[in-house]
Amino acid sequence: MTRKLPFVLPLLLAAPLAYAGPLAIGSAIPSADVKMKNVDGKELSLTDVKGSAGTLVVFTCNHCPFAKGWESRIVDLGNSYQAKGIGVVAVNANDPAVAAEDGYDGMVARAKEKGFAFPYVVDASSGVAKAFGATRTPEVFLFDKAGKLVYHGAVDDNMQDPAKVENAYLKDALEAVAGGKPVPVAETKSIGCSIKFRS
Amino acid sequence: MLPVSLTVALFLAGSVRDAAPVAAPAPIPADPAAVQAAIREPGASAVLVNVWATWCAPCREEFPDLLHVAREFKRAGLRTVLVSSDFEAGDGPQKFLSEQGVDFETYIKTGKDEEFINSLSTDWSGALPATFVYDAQGRLVRFWEGKASYPIMKKRVQEALARKEKP
Repeated sequence: MTRKLPFVLPLLLAAPLAYAGPLAIGSAIPSADVKMKNVDGKELSLTDVKGSAGTLVVFTCNHCPFAKGWESRIVDLGNSYQAKGIGVVAVNANDPAVAAEDGYDGMVARAKEKGFAFPYVVDASSGVAKAFGATRTPEVFLFDKAGKLVYHGAVDDNMQDPAKVENAYLKDALEAVAGGKPVPVAETKSIGCSIKFRS
Repeated sequence: MLPVSLTVALFLAGSVRDAAPVAAPAPIPADPAAVQAAIREPGASAVLVNVWATWCAPCREEFPDLLHVAREFKRAGLRTVLVSSDFEAGDGPQKFLSEQGVDFETYIKTGKDEEFINSLSTDWSGALPATFVYDAQGRLVRFWEGKASYPIMKKRVQEALARKEKP
């Protein structure tokens, strides 16, 4: 048994780096105090962004066709629910060395062009995305007033055509959280671009 | 300056690995049931499934390695099921498949994302690329998200093929 230890030990040490799945429903906001650079040049943490009614964290980026496809809906929802007491932040965890469009200047331009009324920040080590267990863009995490995760997943069920959306998952969840009610659906999935984690 | 013999050897090695462009068949529109049917059709010793898209850079990057494995193990009974999740109308996927030398039938996803994702694996988040390896009995042996290299894909396919005699 003891002879096996030298082999087991490196595995144990490597374990925390392995993907542990997405943040479980009911979890608190992870990496809440990590400062991230916003498109206005200021440093913000998720704690700074927290709203009185809840908090929406959207992992997104500039280059991904799915992030672009949902972008206008994310901006509309973010802007309107921020006004209803939900703290909203878009987080870009991609390594711009992989997709140059995802660099800071691109983010500043995109936020301006699309009219983000909420912060769009750089997860400079990709560590915040890792702490959330986020894997793709766009991927949303909504926390309630108490700071517990109540919704994780897709914006809605039709990226290509907003007119053909049958389930507006995020909108429904935001409406519930803003009204202090339970969300109708807690977890959904959609196809997206893999997050280009910094290695 | 490389010696001529080495240059020729490198050229030959490259040509074995990279098939010449062909006129690839247009991907067949497939809902989750049709994709499952393609995976589970009897006769394969193992099945390699890859979900990709023309707009997905890591998907395009790993494609030559994926096809290398597909060709290498075809005679050992490996079936390769490629599923494009492209969403824009047009011949983009077919053009890419032609450039890559894909001369077999492939598929293009139809229907809602979530049903499609969960039909392949409830552990799949939806991030692309996604690759699944099944054994001869149709059991999912391996699944991973993100780009993989030739040696890794080869190893995982070999694992699935090795399970053929162990139902």
